[in-house]
Amino acid sequence: MAGFLYMPNTTHSNNPTSLSYCIVVRCGPNQQSQSLSALQFTQELLAQGHTVMRVFFYQQAVLIASSLTVVPQDEASLTLQWQTLAQEYQLELGVCIAGALHNGIVNPQECERYQLEAANLAQGFQLVGLGQLAAASAECDRLVSFGA
Amino acid sequence: MSCLITVSQSPYGSRSAKESLDAALVLAAFEQNPGLLFIDDGVLQLLPKGQQPSPHKHIGKIISALEMYDIEELWVETESLQELGLQVDQLSQPVKLVCRQQLSELWSKYDQHLVF
Repeated sequence: MAGFLYMPNTTHSNNPTSLSYCIVVRCGPNQQSQSLSALQFTQELLAQGHTVMRVFFYQQAVLIASSLTVVPQDEASLTLQWQTLAQEYQLELGVCIAGALHNGIVNPQECERYQLEAANLAQGFQLVGLGQLAAASAECDRLVSFGA
Repeated sequence: MSCLITVSQSPYGSRSAKESLDAALVLAAFEQNPGLLFIDDGVLQLLPKGQQPSPHKHIGKIISALEMYDIEELWVETESLQELGLQVDQLSQPVKLVCRQQLSELWSKYDQHLVF
């Protein structure tokens, strides 16, 4: 279920009505349209001058943080698009660590801790606890969740 | 800030049930006053212990921890309960009933929503 919220009708950045958002993505790369909605909604927020304090990837969405996904040449990579957006706006891409480990997404530290063969967390993403979702939800003006 | 977590998934069909409860516990630990609304198959999470349906962690154990985390607002949609042929006294926790027509009113009492 994609969240829907009132959006102030302004198109220029630095507008006085800008809000801070926390985006929760719960749908995986295979739920194409929903995952894309999350990305495009975030892109539009930033384009309109709002702040996105954190994007939190939970449940199936942790798979978006894999650097080992290969998409067909004529398809866009969600991972790459999130990375590009994050780089452009210094966006924080937090991935639920429990969900990530469960789905085989690990960073070098976890790789070492659990003696795994390789690390595959894509650049620009970081493994964080669920507490980061709670903290962001406490501080943001709007919490918007995508996926079912 | 208060958050209502709506759960509609059965306890063991997917990891969704556990992940929604995990989110509730963490929000409570951050003093976000989460409430839980059980609808559709989500109501099955409130069936009492006594079964060992799978090697997975028993959802009932997490449910029974809610009180310890001061999560006291537990809502169950009356229609969902009826559709599953259950009575409120068969549930493992004391809950408040809300009928489908009152759901929007309940939702409006909370600042934030996470729907699982």
